[in-house]
Amino acid sequence: MEDMIAVEGLRKVFHTPFRRRRVEAVKGVTFNVRRGEIFGFLGPNGAGKTTTLKMLVGLIRPTAGRARILGGEPGAIDIMARVGFLPEQPYFYDYLKPTELLDVFGQIFGLPRAERRRRIDSLLDLVGLGDAKNRVLRKFSKGMLQRVGIAQALLNDPELILLDEPMSGLDPVGRKEVIDLIASLKDRGKTVFFSSHILADIERLCDRVVILHKGEVKHAGTLQELLAQGDRKEILVNGALEDGWAARPGIHAVDRVGGTVTRLLVEAGASDGVLRDLLEARLEVLQVADRRISLEELFVADAGTGPVGAKEVAG
Amino acid sequence: MTTLLGTPRRVAAIARNTFIEASRNRAFVGLGIAAMGLVASSMALSGLAIADQMARVLVDFGLFSIAVLEVVIAVTMGVILVFKEVDKKTFYVILTKPIRRSEVLAGKFFGLVAVLAIALALMSVAWIGSLAMRGVPLPHDIAQALVLTWLQAVLITSVALFFSSFASPILSGVFTLGVYLAGTTLYVLDDLLIARKGLLVTNDAARAVAKTALVILPDLSVFNLGKELILGIPIGWDYVAASGAYCLGWCLLFWGLAAVIFERRDFA
Repeated sequence: MEDMIAVEGLRKVFHTPFRRRRVEAVKGVTFNVRRGEIFGFLGPNGAGKTTTLKMLVGLIRPTAGRARILGGEPGAIDIMARVGFLPEQPYFYDYLKPTELLDVFGQIFGLPRAERRRRIDSLLDLVGLGDAKNRVLRKFSKGMLQRVGIAQALLNDPELILLDEPMSGLDPVGRKEVIDLIASLKDRGKTVFFSSHILADIERLCDRVVILHKGEVKHAGTLQELLAQGDRKEILVNGALEDGWAARPGIHAVDRVGGTVTRLLVEAGASDGVLRDLLEARLEVLQVADRRISLEELFVADAGTGPVGAKEVAG
Repeated sequence: MTTLLGTPRRVAAIARNTFIEASRNRAFVGLGIAAMGLVASSMALSGLAIADQMARVLVDFGLFSIAVLEVVIAVTMGVILVFKEVDKKTFYVILTKPIRRSEVLAGKFFGLVAVLAIALALMSVAWIGSLAMRGVPLPHDIAQALVLTWLQAVLITSVALFFSSFASPILSGVFTLGVYLAGTTLYVLDDLLIARKGLLVTNDAARAVAKTALVILPDLSVFNLGKELILGIPIGWDYVAASGAYCLGWCLLFWGLAAVIFERRDFA
């Protein structure tokens, strides 16, 4: 399948003038986005998501590595004519009305006047701003500005839409509407690349995901593949376990869950051996259940603040 | 269609927006009021002049006020042209559209040039009105003098745009004003270089600095013809055209330098 985005060994080092400090925001990131998919770019704050996105749209030049979108150079005129981009917390000319703002962008895209009017009206209705189109942007709330941002990203009917935290600032209704909108874009054959730290949105929408942490790709693949890495068994045992159990291979965590019950989180492949050992130790096994790691656990484990049982999974 | 400055459609879109921004900016309205006030004050000053000097004061001070206010508008708005977009992050949505960075700079430049033309027209109407009210006959080449005043401000805008492509507004303002002050007095250096004595004759280093300044700085005295206007020395349209070409050359140079710097910038 054709790659809409191809990123290979992308690096960005920022130098702070005078202080001679260097910050490596993106450390050799590699991934690809295929035509027609919704691709999630996940990571905690400071992971390098926005820097990577800015390199994809030509706002920042990479220090090393290569990024290509729609088969061309980021920022090239013919490429950007086919791309829609929503920056994180978008800022616009606040002295303009949304219709005027979109008209400026429409002129840059070279859309004829009648076509501009038609698209602007239809997009403002689509993002729920049909009633606010004659108010200046200065008077817009954060959520309304986000909707304007989404409208401007779709103005040129782009093949590839890059969205940086598209749900930011939206209320639950707004989020649902944007989720539905992104899903409908996929139905229309568009490719959507969006960054987020809202895991529910990623799980709901994305075909494939990259999890970025401290500028590096920690995990990449379909959600199924990622979550399968963390298939585990939860074993409840009546009675306390000696300290040595937690260190056994295949056991991720041992903790008391109330009363005399102890819970073990065990890798699926190691569960038979652990169960055998428990029975040999004459411990009463109360329950054995499948436990699938959630995207949240995977994400939090990468962030280094992992909850019980969420050791880092090899990517 | 693509020209030296880019695709006219894209440049025009940015220019139009820059003009709208200025026209909806309260600071610009304030500047307009200040301009009217200064022009009106030339009338008050003329009352203090000796009777036969009244016309001279009205013409001289009026043209000077317009020239200074045009430069003030060029500097104050020119130095924030780029900075404001970076600071407010509005560039993120503009520069990710199918437009070259050099086209954005050209659009912003032309938008401000249009603002200067409107400001000049308004101030000129007020000035000419004040001359008429005092019964002072209009100087013969008043239109040429006003166009030259505008050309000077246009050139200063390109200087401000150049500095604002890499420096903060305050530094850009200081540098631009420096170029303006040096440019308006550059003819003095020229005179000193051809003099038979003085520092620029005896000191080789000073002479080299002066010669370099003459090459790298625009000579703004070509736009200041208030004296000729008062003395009734004709200012032909051919002179205005030549000055326009001089202005265009410098504008292209500063715009080109700004575009090269701007093209290399990261917008993190």
